[in-house]
Amino acid sequence: MQSSTSKRRETGASGRITRLRAAVQGAAPGICTERALLWTAYHRDRGNRGKHPHVRMAEALREVLLGKTICIYPDELIVGNFTSKRVGGSIYPELHGVPVMIDLFSFNTRKTNPLEISRRERTALMKIIPFWMFRFLGVRAYRSPFTLARFMVNQLRGHQYLINETGGISHLAPDYEKLIAIGTDGIVAEVRSLEKGAEPDSNRRHFYHGVGIIAEGLAQFGERYAELAERTAFAEQDPVRKKELLAIAAACRRVPRKGARTLQEAVQSLFFAQIAINLESLDNSVCPGRMDRYLYPYYRDDVRTGRLTRARAKDILSAFSIKMSEIIPVFSRHLTGFHGGMFNGQVVTVGGVDARGNDSTNELSYMFLEIMDELRMRQPNYHARVHAKSPRRYLDMIYRVLAGGSNSPALYNDDVIVPTLVKHGYSLADARDYTAVGCVEPVSQGKSFSSTDAALMNAALCLELALNRGRRFGSPMRTGPRTRPVSRMRSMEDVRAAFEAQLGSMTGRLIRDLKAIERVNTRHHPTPLTSMLLSECLEKGVCSTAGGARYNFSGVQNTAPIDIGDALAAIERVVFIDRRITLPELAAMLKANIPDERDREYLRGLPKYGNDMEEADRWSVYVIRAYTKALSDAGLSTRGGRYVPGLYSVTAHEFFGRVTGALPHGRRKGEPFASGVSAVNGMDRNGPTALINSTNRIDFTEIANGVNYNLKFDRHTLRGETGRAALAALIRTFFRRGGMQAQINVVDPSVLIEARNHPDRHPNLLVRVSGYSAYFNDLTPAMKDEIIRRNCYRIG
Amino acid sequence: MKNGGSTRVPGDRGRNTPGTERAVIFDIQRFSLHDGPGIRTTVFFKGCPLRCAWCQNPESHNRNPEMAFYAERCRGCFSCRKACPREAIVDGPDRRVDYSRCDSCGACAEACPADALRLVGNERDPESLAAEVLRDRDFFADSGGGVTLSGGEPMVYPAFALRLLRLVRAEGVRTAIETCGLFGMADMKKLLPYLDLVYYDLKHMDAKKHREYTGAGNRAVLSNFTVLSKAFRHLQARMPVLPGFNDDEKNIRATARFLAGAGRRSIHCLPYHNLGESKLPRLHTDQRPLGLSPAEWADLARVKKIFRQEGINAVIYE
Repeated sequence: MQSSTSKRRETGASGRITRLRAAVQGAAPGICTERALLWTAYHRDRGNRGKHPHVRMAEALREVLLGKTICIYPDELIVGNFTSKRVGGSIYPELHGVPVMIDLFSFNTRKTNPLEISRRERTALMKIIPFWMFRFLGVRAYRSPFTLARFMVNQLRGHQYLINETGGISHLAPDYEKLIAIGTDGIVAEVRSLEKGAEPDSNRRHFYHGVGIIAEGLAQFGERYAELAERTAFAEQDPVRKKELLAIAAACRRVPRKGARTLQEAVQSLFFAQIAINLESLDNSVCPGRMDRYLYPYYRDDVRTGRLTRARAKDILSAFSIKMSEIIPVFSRHLTGFHGGMFNGQVVTVGGVDARGNDSTNELSYMFLEIMDELRMRQPNYHARVHAKSPRRYLDMIYRVLAGGSNSPALYNDDVIVPTLVKHGYSLADARDYTAVGCVEPVSQGKSFSSTDAALMNAALCLELALNRGRRFGSPMRTGPRTRPVSRMRSMEDVRAAFEAQLGSMTGRLIRDLKAIERVNTRHHPTPLTSMLLSECLEKGVCSTAGGARYNFSGVQNTAPIDIGDALAAIERVVFIDRRITLPELAAMLKANIPDERDREYLRGLPKYGNDMEEADRWSVYVIRAYTKALSDAGLSTRGGRYVPGLYSVTAHEFFGRVTGALPHGRRKGEPFASGVSAVNGMDRNGPTALINSTNRIDFTEIANGVNYNLKFDRHTLRGETGRAALAALIRTFFRRGGMQAQINVVDPSVLIEARNHPDRHPNLLVRVSGYSAYFNDLTPAMKDEIIRRNCYRIG
Repeated sequence: MKNGGSTRVPGDRGRNTPGTERAVIFDIQRFSLHDGPGIRTTVFFKGCPLRCAWCQNPESHNRNPEMAFYAERCRGCFSCRKACPREAIVDGPDRRVDYSRCDSCGACAEACPADALRLVGNERDPESLAAEVLRDRDFFADSGGGVTLSGGEPMVYPAFALRLLRLVRAEGVRTAIETCGLFGMADMKKLLPYLDLVYYDLKHMDAKKHREYTGAGNRAVLSNFTVLSKAFRHLQARMPVLPGFNDDEKNIRATARFLAGAGRRSIHCLPYHNLGESKLPRLHTDQRPLGLSPAEWADLARVKKIFRQEGINAVIYE
């Protein structure tokens, strides 16, 4: 045991990496105004207003890239800064920036996710609000002021659903492999030859024009760093650092304009693009994806020719990994309720199969897992693909870091996800090249423009509405259709019919609003840079926001399938089997928020999902099927793709829970829902094997947009060889029987309680929230309580 | 071969009549990691011939279902009083059940909204119990785990144990038993073909000490071990290490020599902890807190060393 710890220290992070990590973790997150101000200046200029949107977007982004502050921090090997602050976020005034600026006076002082902003910066931002007030995406969704007002109020209250596309789309794994290989010059050459076939003044022509502009802009962005590195090197006293800076300068001269020749150039090239894409549209879920796969040839050649050692390669990738934590999203308090934890959803996926179905694990897969475990930072989010033939060494390493409490990587089962993607229309080769983006959503690297987090739906509200003729409990206003009153529901069939009617209606409303936003995204906010790095957009000459990419799914999330399932199971048991009370009596009890504690205990004691009881589990299975059907009835998006279901919630299960009335499984108004397909908090009483047996009743091949499944253990359970082997057996069995995804949280509850009471004692405690890791201190108080409440398995 | 059967042990009194094959089970623990290899489901039988002073499962002593009262959960609503058909509910500060009247019908537990009164122990038949433990068979197969019979003392119900093990083994699931060593050897021999592993407790080599702390002498325990050791290969000795009771050098050496004499080379040491004592006030039991502090790592290392000197490999459980 001891020898392995000391060995780990030897092979652990180098001094440089330790310093870089400390600098980033020690920096207070702030708001950078540059993106907002430069973007506004460009759009205010009347000379630019007549230009085609493709060109306008490309030029505006170029202005940002060439006008923003750039810096190179001490010790860095990979350069490029997302914002002018060491750790910072930007405001996107044309997207969700205006609603976010509601918090302009409280960013500094708010309790959850405080963000630094100076008075001068605040004043500068105040001045641009009038310009965008009637120009940002949300207000362009509807022409009719009445419809628009309804949409905006719905969106701001967020009780029924939240349309995330109002803030832009993103959620992709760009084709960095191509950029690294041929550089922007290669892409420009491609565009020039395609352009010839396009009609003058056609949409296509403008699109190519825009792509050309931004490709060149990206190359120049790199060259700015080359100059800065040269200048810094000139002033540098330390000869070793001087040499490093000159090497950085040489790399930035080369990439992203030309193809990369070394690992350092490859990583540098993709990191510039990573910054630029985050500045183009929504700064969420821009994912480097399968880095171990596409970087490996560069690593292999470097090592073979003796240019690079493994240790140096690891430093480069560690430096990159730390850089990914320098960006944070700027959200208002309201949006933080849905997307807590200051998380941009940048995913790195390792392992899995290649296009021919063979295992693709390589030395970089192991290196990334080491880096992940040593750094344990908020970003990027590391995910590991596993399949029946994953190498033993790879699995052993994953289970070792998980049992050690790393809480990452999240595990993805190729043997279920690949067939699922094929079933929904992917080619086999593209399906095999999937990576997760955002939280848990599988997409094909460089080929999908799947708005995987298009919207989050509070489906549990549909049950509240079904039990009250389409009205919220206690509300005189009607939210959903007038379904049959509870007094006339004679069987579970009737309850289901009412629920399905409400669900169908809410889905319809959601899709209508979503489509309105899809259209304004296409019209007002095309994304030439994103499109440049997605397969088929260039060939077709169609922007990704207009459906240019090969795959165009949209993910809509049901944030409480398990709560609804348990609630229906409770109705069946109490009203129709035991006949303990009538449905109207139950509905009245719910309206009064279950006032009698004895009733509540009784309802909580009924069979629940997560205990290997078919009686309860089948209702969760039913809800998932009903939801899948409601979405499949919704037709195609304006980009021509299907709406597909996701069963994960980011932190919306907490927010939606807060606004949803009491439900029949003993849940009072305001209590959080279960996360993803995990059991309702504390309701899985028979341990992890029973929970997994319940979960295996779900047919995951229907859930094309991914699920989030938390298995929580305390450290004690997973200690030693015994614990590790047990964990591996649990996951293996779950996956062999059709499980899709799993994430392992190893937390000692006493540590969490201490962290809640004394945030300063555990400043960097990392927990898994919903498909991603977040610092515990970044969560809202309610989220902290929920993390603590989540069931922890204990052995006697 | 008759010596096992002819030994009078307290467990004999509780032998169930053949054919009825029902047993009182007080817990079924899934995802057990420390009652044998792999992921296991452990079945806890209610009833034990011994009364060890340090017992971690005092609710296992009595072989009948019994009421337990969790005072800290009680809200004083006395729904239990209305529910009780025998007027056995009393209003003590940390007592709710008059055990002289209670017949463990469980009506009060049903009525209690706070889960403060619980019925410990359910009478089960082997078929339904087998079906329940087989739910985790996929995990057993993958991890090399299986089903462990524990308690209490499973051999209080030998006919039931035999039926259960047969059912489980017929499904290809591996099995283990944890025993205190007081059983009829004829009964045990019937079980052996259906067992993969026997964990066997050796608490003390000195008969007087053994009687003082467990309520019974060790003659039958030791003779059963010797016989079983010859008849069954996968016998594993275990020893709860109790500071000041059985961890002295003399007893360790005696235990080691006994093991060597029986042809055994290893022992599993289970360090004492006092977590079970929190259960005592909830039950109707004569067991009193032992006042021992948990076994120290240094003591265990010393125990391990002495065993090693005698040629016995001692495995210390965490």
